[in-house]
Amino acid sequence: MFNFRNIVIAGAAGQGVDSAVALAGKVLLKAGFQLFITADYQSRVRGGHNFMRIRFSDQPLAAAVSSIDYLLALNEESLTRHLPDLTSEGLAFAMADDSINIIDQRVVNIPTKAGPKAAQDKTFTGIKLLTLLFAELGFSPEIFKETIERQFGRKLSTKLLQTNLDTISEITTFFAARASQPLSFTPQPDSQRMLVNGNESIALGMVAAGIGVYTAYPMTPSTSVLNVLADCGPQLGIAVEQVEDEIAALNAALGASYAGARAATGSSGAGICLMAEAIGMAGISEIPIVIFDAQRSSPATGMATRTEQADLLFVAHVSHGDFPRLIIAPANHTESFYLTAEAFNLADYWQIPVFILSDQAQASAESSVNEFDLAKITIDRGVIADEPQNCERLRRYEITESGISPRAFPQLSQWLISCDSHEHNEIGQLSDNIENRNRQHKKRMRKLKNLADTLPAPEIIGAPADNLLICWGSTVGPVLEAAEIFRAQGNKLAIAVFQYLYPLNRERIEKALAPFKNIYTIEGNFSGQLGKLLQMETTVRITSHIGKTDGRLFTVEDVLQSLTKLVGGKS
Amino acid sequence: MNCNSESSFTTQWCPGCGNFVTLECLKSALCNLQIEARDYVIASGIGQAAKLGFSLQCNLLAGLHGRALPLAMGLKMANHQLKVLAVSGDGCFYAEGGNHLLHTARRNLDVTMLASDNRVYGLTKGQASPTAAADFTTKIHPEGVGAQPLEPTLIALSAGATFVAKAFTGNPGELTTLIEKAIQHPGFALIDILSPCVSFNKVNTFAWFKKRIQTIDDNHDRNNLAAALQLAQFDPETLIPTGIYYQADKPVYGSNKKAMQGKPISFRTPSYKPERVRPLFAHYQS
Repeated sequence: MFNFRNIVIAGAAGQGVDSAVALAGKVLLKAGFQLFITADYQSRVRGGHNFMRIRFSDQPLAAAVSSIDYLLALNEESLTRHLPDLTSEGLAFAMADDSINIIDQRVVNIPTKAGPKAAQDKTFTGIKLLTLLFAELGFSPEIFKETIERQFGRKLSTKLLQTNLDTISEITTFFAARASQPLSFTPQPDSQRMLVNGNESIALGMVAAGIGVYTAYPMTPSTSVLNVLADCGPQLGIAVEQVEDEIAALNAALGASYAGARAATGSSGAGICLMAEAIGMAGISEIPIVIFDAQRSSPATGMATRTEQADLLFVAHVSHGDFPRLIIAPANHTESFYLTAEAFNLADYWQIPVFILSDQAQASAESSVNEFDLAKITIDRGVIADEPQNCERLRRYEITESGISPRAFPQLSQWLISCDSHEHNEIGQLSDNIENRNRQHKKRMRKLKNLADTLPAPEIIGAPADNLLICWGSTVGPVLEAAEIFRAQGNKLAIAVFQYLYPLNRERIEKALAPFKNIYTIEGNFSGQLGKLLQMETTVRITSHIGKTDGRLFTVEDVLQSLTKLVGGKS
Repeated sequence: MNCNSESSFTTQWCPGCGNFVTLECLKSALCNLQIEARDYVIASGIGQAAKLGFSLQCNLLAGLHGRALPLAMGLKMANHQLKVLAVSGDGCFYAEGGNHLLHTARRNLDVTMLASDNRVYGLTKGQASPTAAADFTTKIHPEGVGAQPLEPTLIALSAGATFVAKAFTGNPGELTTLIEKAIQHPGFALIDILSPCVSFNKVNTFAWFKKRIQTIDDNHDRNNLAAALQLAQFDPETLIPTGIYYQADKPVYGSNKKAMQGKPISFRTPSYKPERVRPLFAHYQS
């Protein structure tokens, strides 16, 4: 069971919720806490209601909780909306004029005029409330000031920076260190520890893997991968482009991969829809490619800033025809880094499209992770053809037992290389010859079987038990934590975590799941898509499904409630 | 490998098809420019014209309908030293791939776009292409197409292409020269190649084009965009100008990107090690 506290910072769009959270995150990271920060925001530039949760602990976290220990309300609506989730010992911080209509002993007011004259504007509310929070937590104001200088020193004018620092001094003096409820846990500082969101982990994994070209069209919640790569591209030799549409994005990435770069594209479900035909081209032309899908609420435009796990069956079948592909779903930000790097090796080795399936919940959640260990990353370009004596045509689609044909890159090699979206013969010329078609088709499909044979069984946690709950992706964090609480309440429950969602290693999965009487799925979708896939591909039968389609992530409490309802249990 | 080496591929073109001429002209141009087979890539789409690359001993990326230009874009991003030719027909480039034409032209991607323009879909047996005249009738358009034909040179010019030309397969000498100049041109080069379809277009025949084709006058100022735009607004019923409409020296795609300078990314990729990500970690640490 985790020792933790949960902070919620809430306000309207444009009020600076995210800046306040960015600051609080860095302060807590510096102080040595582990963090899990999640955002709940609307697709609008001003107004509405946004809130973010900052959960901190002395142990690594991978889930959000609903209950609030500290509420920082930037406006009145934030108080009325979130006070019901504030624990009885919890505290809410607000400006006095925002809480005038609220009678609640848990609300701590800052007088409207508090702080320096230059800091009377509403934009300073965030900094005032944070100062109060850190005073409550017993932190020295110096750590907060240092963080502001480091984070915003270069962005703010000297005058504005000084006003912020003065505000911290004055508000601190005003309230002094409170520490009315000292923390029951002590931080474990590690200067190497990183605070990253899911997309940043994925982008960093791409860089570690040696990516050379990334082409994409902006789409929430995938765009920050484009941002990270565009930022480091000039220094690291990565050509990044915002192209005209997702069709161009994948086709350009395929061109770059054919030419010898490690290439990828990324989008959300609707953008992947536009890539459908080119995904099939990657399949038949056997050009390695990595496709990042940050799932969001669906179908069509859905809810732009909300999450869902409903792309799995789509991605498992997208594009017409049978061809091999691989779907990987990292369960947390650490896996997002390592599995993304591995995705490029698997794409190159099997010469297939590899999907990294993430979602809005992971994309926008920030988590503290140990600095990524680069010794764990290898770069393997797969099977490369030996150089010929003279310039000649490569048997790019040579029939082999493994299904893998040696490849080469134009101009880097003497080989002339023909890759083709038609059915083709061994040298890449279009052909509809019957024998050739059957040979080439079987060759490609052998890769799927051979790839499946290398994939691991799901990890099973908490066996033996009669009941097994299957989860993947962003759902894993809250499920593992809720299951621990559920077991501590005297219930038995095992969890299966799937990282590789397609193809499925039938033998290993059936063996791993055989001991369980009832198998349930919990996924952020309506129909239980991994369960359906398992029932298609294996003898596994699913008893029932816990779904969620409201666009919000699963909190630990959400899972616990569902478990109690589904499996019964003592509480 | 000799620049004239033919592949074993048997073409699927009808006797008399303009694509045979384009193939011969392209081979001559590559020979004349002494471009080694390993130094260029043909990115193609779908349609009869798009199959041209199969008849050459070359690097070929035979892609989807309409998508030759995005493929070319990726090729250049990974290896800006490659010569890249995008080869396909009017249906592929101007209908399915119309959006890519606009954006690839405005980026001034260094690619030679050879668009075989016969105003009709040959591979799917005679539907109207975007360059077909409004009164052109087909099985699908028994009452005529209705829509106005696109003029590819006008679109390319207004989108920012820096080399825009029109050729006719009835004049192979001019076509060869234009291909050479387009390949040598740094930037987006379109040659709209009027290439009669002998099977499915009984209106815009060889004779029909022959009657209207006229080589652009020497007095035309090809460095003047306004003059080029004027030239491109011809009346195809009376006169179709061939030759170079416009040529300008402008920064090519990637010239503002540090990653695309010097040794191409594809050549540098073997030196990309996991350690390259380490300097980025500090940003995420406290």
